[in-house]
Amino acid sequence: MNKGTVAFVGRRLLQLVPVVLAIATLNFVLIKMAPGDAADILAGQMGHATLEFTQELRREFGLDLPLAEQFLVYIRRLATLDLGVSVIQQQPVLDLILDRLPATLLLMVTAIGVAIASGVSLGVVAARRQGGWVDNVISVVALLVYATPAFWLGLMLIVFFSIQLDLLPSGGMMRIGVDQSPFALALDVAHHLVLPALTLGLFYAAIYARLMRASMLEVYGQDFITTARAKGLPERAVAWSHAARNALLPVVTLAGMQLGHLLGGSILIETVFAWPGLGRLVFDALQQRDLNLLLGILFVSSVVVVLANLLVDLLYGMLDPRITHK
Amino acid sequence: MPISSARTLFAASLLALAVIPAHAQKKGGTLTYTYQPEPTAMSTISTTAVPVALIATKIYESLLEYEGAGMKPVPGLAESWTVSKDKKTYTFKLRKGVTWHDGKPFTSDDVKFSIEKVVTPFHSRGKTYFGEVAAIETPDASTVIFKLKQPVPYFLRAFQAAESPLMPRHGFSDEEIATGKIRTAKIMQNPIGTGPFKLKEWKKGSHIILERNPSYWKPGRPYLDQVVLRVLPDGSARAIAVEKGEVDLAPMSSLPPAEIQRLGKLPTMVASQEGNEGLGPIMWLEVNNRSKPLSDVRVRQAMSLAIDRRKLVDVIWYGQGKPASGPIVSGNPNHFDKLLKPLEHDVARANKLLDDAGYKRGANGVRFKLTQNFLPYGEEWVRQAEYLKQEFRKVGIEVETQSLDLGGWLKRIYTDWDYDYTSNFTHNYSDPTIGVQRAFISTNIKRGATFSNSMDYVNENLDALFRKAALLEDGPERAQVWAQIQAILRRDMPVIFLMEMSYSHIWNKRVHGLITNGISMYSGWDGVWVD
Repeated sequence: MNKGTVAFVGRRLLQLVPVVLAIATLNFVLIKMAPGDAADILAGQMGHATLEFTQELRREFGLDLPLAEQFLVYIRRLATLDLGVSVIQQQPVLDLILDRLPATLLLMVTAIGVAIASGVSLGVVAARRQGGWVDNVISVVALLVYATPAFWLGLMLIVFFSIQLDLLPSGGMMRIGVDQSPFALALDVAHHLVLPALTLGLFYAAIYARLMRASMLEVYGQDFITTARAKGLPERAVAWSHAARNALLPVVTLAGMQLGHLLGGSILIETVFAWPGLGRLVFDALQQRDLNLLLGILFVSSVVVVLANLLVDLLYGMLDPRITHK
Repeated sequence: MPISSARTLFAASLLALAVIPAHAQKKGGTLTYTYQPEPTAMSTISTTAVPVALIATKIYESLLEYEGAGMKPVPGLAESWTVSKDKKTYTFKLRKGVTWHDGKPFTSDDVKFSIEKVVTPFHSRGKTYFGEVAAIETPDASTVIFKLKQPVPYFLRAFQAAESPLMPRHGFSDEEIATGKIRTAKIMQNPIGTGPFKLKEWKKGSHIILERNPSYWKPGRPYLDQVVLRVLPDGSARAIAVEKGEVDLAPMSSLPPAEIQRLGKLPTMVASQEGNEGLGPIMWLEVNNRSKPLSDVRVRQAMSLAIDRRKLVDVIWYGQGKPASGPIVSGNPNHFDKLLKPLEHDVARANKLLDDAGYKRGANGVRFKLTQNFLPYGEEWVRQAEYLKQEFRKVGIEVETQSLDLGGWLKRIYTDWDYDYTSNFTHNYSDPTIGVQRAFISTNIKRGATFSNSMDYVNENLDALFRKAALLEDGPERAQVWAQIQAILRRDMPVIFLMEMSYSHIWNKRVHGLITNGISMYSGWDGVWVD
């Protein structure tokens, strides 16, 4: 890595601080604007709790302090990377997140891998046969997948692959209560990963296929493609090594921007497939006014998204040597 | 002088067990169940929410166990007990040789510690059960004496595993005890109990595995090797897992009602609404009695008459319940007034009552408008709200529906008191003094207290009856007081009783021995076995 890149990375990491602070503030305000607090919900869930009991809960978790003070306490803790204790779950927020983060990352990385690989290939294939029946089929299917709600697609995939054909498990991340060798465990997890990753990835594959096709057509019109063809390069090489590499940049840009979106999408998918990731935790935290947990998850996910975007920017330089990081 | 000893009863029940052919119960195997959401802790001290109570009651026990729908107390960790004549001294003899999951002996000190330092201050119903305890004495390692300030008629029902779990003193650090960090103590995630099962693995978001406690005090028990909880957040996915046999049991209505009805018809499945009598979930429309027109009892009675409860149960809830007759569920053999008739459905009379009350229909047929809220627990509650809107329209009441999530709902109903009516449900629990009194006694009109008297309903006569019932032992006299209370509440209609909800359980036919008492899913399952 050269000096310029190091400085670029450093600068981007510094940008994390205001981003995270802004996210924390915004979410604090939003969740405090919603009526009701976590003590009410906890007491409500327990049933037949007295008013005194509810107030004790509020005291225990500092929910009785003035709002400004609660905010200061929170920011002060965040500065020392202490995410606090979840009011509803009554466990350290960091533990709750770290328990589930790996599963979500695995699902996201696989899904985006599936999406880019299949989206790009289909886009290239469609562009090479522009106007032909292959192009038409790919375009129509992509449009259909794009328009299908992901959770419904997931349920249909379960019905087909898991109930009808009995080929793939309907949910979960691994077989339960079986001692497996690391290799067998990896295979088992992969087996469980197929349907959720496919469900989450297909939507993005559809977008990338359409984007890649348009981008390829644009590149095809440029002079260096005419040059490559004039040199007598086979059409396959023209498409994949010359056109595709250049056409890839918009896809990479979009993929980078969509990482946050992908994390949001995984909430639904994780619920449908009982995938033990962050998704469900976000949903519950929001429902239960679990401020600490929600802010913790948003903190971690914003860090993940910012870091992923940084990676994308670095990837640009590799794909296109004309881009340098200043 | 002892007036009650249950040792003979226990011997008799053991004898009864011996009569069942020995090959009936099988040892070994795994029972997998699913419930949503995932528990947040392994002890009901942390929270008594259903998912926690389900799993914690396999790990922790209390002094007694309970038999039958009437929840008759039988020996558990206490081998026997005596009650003094003035009903203010309860002496329990502990079973000897019981050990915690970590091998250390279970003693009377643990009982005293659990009740005084853990259950009373931190359990959500701790003060309800043990608020009258003046002192707990432990003359020796296997004797515990509770001295009460005044008699508590339901005291012997306090010793359920979910209500007063016994926890080891040595499981808490001195710092956790000194700073009162009981609810977040390490043991809440890493349980050490005396129960038939102990924690083997908890993979958050995925599953929990409990394994048999090899040194459990009941000889030959538990039958199962493992109890597994699978976390399946999506309702349809849970139903699929049950249908495919990947999950053996979906307890406490953890499947959508439509799925329970569908799966219950399969030859491989058993669907049951039994085993919840000790919880007694009951649903009503909570009505704000503060202002007109709902402050008029005739209006509330008319609304009650406008509802076809049979249709409500069958269509909206897929038959998973029973029309309510009053505040106490009919499955409660000790307190329900069996003479009560079902609440009527009579649109003509409803219209007449509203006319008499002075609310004539306007030009568009509307008498007045109301806003309804509903408990945000899923689609059935939404559909019920839509159904009620239709029925009330027929008697000239126009209803607008307002949707809130749980946090917003709790605040609007119990803190702001800013509502007309809302669907709601609560539990009778093992005694109506615990479960029913709370919602109707006028001293419980407290801003911010969830599931309290949000209606602003005041009836001094009723308050006095509640106080009287709270001091009487179960028997004809107490039953009479409860009958009076039920009659008053049916007449005054501070809330409109709708339905005895049923917690429906659905399980694979390979599972046996699940339903044993009024809190079957909150029992230890040591007698459950699989084919």
